[in-house]
Amino acid sequence: MNPLLQALWVARKDLAIEFRTKESLNAAGAFAVVILLLFSFVFDPASPEVATIGGGLLWLCFAFGGALIFNRGFARELPNECLDALLASPVSASSLLAGKAITSFVLLLIVEAVSLFVFGFFYDVRWWLHPLKLFAVCALATWGIAILGAAFGAMTVNLKLRELMLPVLIYPLLLPLLMAAIELTNNLLMNQVTSDSLLWGRVLLVFDIVYTSLAVALAETILVN
Amino acid sequence: MREKLVYILAIVGAVLLAWNLYGIFTVLPDEAAQGAIYRIIFIHVPAAITAFTGFFIALVLSAMYLKTGDLRYDSAAASVTEVSFVFACVNVATGSIWARIIWGIWWTWDPRLTSMFVCLLIYFGYLMLRKAIDEPTQRGRLSAALSIFGFVDVIIVWKSIQWWRTQHPSPVLSIRTGGGNIDPAMEHMIYRDLLAFLLIAAAIVLVRMRQEMIEREIDSLRRLAHA
Amino acid sequence: MDTRNFLFMFYGFLAAWVIVMIYIITLARRNSRLKRELDDVKRLLDVKETRAENRTTSLPHGRGSVQG
Repeated sequence: MNPLLQALWVARKDLAIEFRTKESLNAAGAFAVVILLLFSFVFDPASPEVATIGGGLLWLCFAFGGALIFNRGFARELPNECLDALLASPVSASSLLAGKAITSFVLLLIVEAVSLFVFGFFYDVRWWLHPLKLFAVCALATWGIAILGAAFGAMTVNLKLRELMLPVLIYPLLLPLLMAAIELTNNLLMNQVTSDSLLWGRVLLVFDIVYTSLAVALAETILVN
Repeated sequence: MREKLVYILAIVGAVLLAWNLYGIFTVLPDEAAQGAIYRIIFIHVPAAITAFTGFFIALVLSAMYLKTGDLRYDSAAASVTEVSFVFACVNVATGSIWARIIWGIWWTWDPRLTSMFVCLLIYFGYLMLRKAIDEPTQRGRLSAALSIFGFVDVIIVWKSIQWWRTQHPSPVLSIRTGGGNIDPAMEHMIYRDLLAFLLIAAAIVLVRMRQEMIEREIDSLRRLAHA
Repeated sequence: MDTRNFLFMFYGFLAAWVIVMIYIITLARRNSRLKRELDDVKRLLDVKETRAENRTTSLPHGRGSVQG
């Protein structure tokens, strides 16, 4: 079977389980909303400066909420040795990793959509000024988070301190991507798309290409038992 | 034989460093704009280059481990990474002290400093990951993968002062600029200090590698004892 | 200003030395710990081998030895 099809089948399985139970979605969504609520006590949500820091606020929520999602990614396969069964199956390691990344990507996009509405409501920020560009930024950045989350989720799945190790390892690596996403989101929220935005867009794209290639190339190494 | 090599590297490195310090403090004049504080560059830049060289060597060793499965490559990669991390800490600490005088602040979130701090966090994570895994082959595999992922940030740190407008000074070494940005005597001293640092780092790496091998020996003897 | 400049230059060199020396001290301590652990595990193996030898030599005549 085509590796991409294999990845889509893995994602389909995981998404079916997730939509049935909604455990990661609910946890990540609630967590993101709570962070937005907490930040409203840090500064005045009605002040005009919110648009200048809105990008940072949003991407912090998405990054922390994302951790809850990709933490579950491989951990859900541990009971009943499902992970061993998956590794023994004809599905290639890279397809398995990509499938997990696609699942995290879809779930995180849903969390982001909900958070954007909550953000617009609580902070009175018009995030819908450039919907297509904002969607492109969210998609690119979320894919970067998802692929790294899947790779490191696989790396840390059997570790004793999985929940601690995963954020410690992944957030430093995500920083360039988050910086680019924050800058671009701030520009879009302030309606100031500049030539610098193109540079940050390139950073997002390069980051996605490099880390996706590395994750796919190292999938066998990371996932072998 | 290995012990002799460690002693030779350490002694030659220490003597070269001492000779360089003599030159730095008594021969080279103060810099026109910065005064005496500029001399930190003779530790700051060589420490950075030593660290980045080490991270690159660790990347190659990690790839060799993944290719061959020989745990000696893993031990070497871990040792080199640990020592390089120490030199990276030296780089950040000395840069911060220099910045306190020249910029009036200990730290700024410009691309060079931010990416260097991220680099420290990544390789600290590498060291933490190694402590968290007991099984040697799994530890080697996952550390190697993290080393490969982490090196992307080293490239970002190296190129950051060219890609972005930064508060950190622009490249000064003639290998990057083609010349004219730094006094030749000062540049020559940076390279001499770099050689000293590399020799000392190599000696420490060999000591650390020996410790890794002893740990593996203890592990296998323990298995035998409890069999 | 000049004094402060010079003082901070000294701090810079001191910081580098302190960081490297702390690392070398941790290496030395790790060395001692590893030596202790190696001695302990070798002693454990010696005890195990001695016990195994005693078990084979104390077996009654005709059992455990090749007889014609």
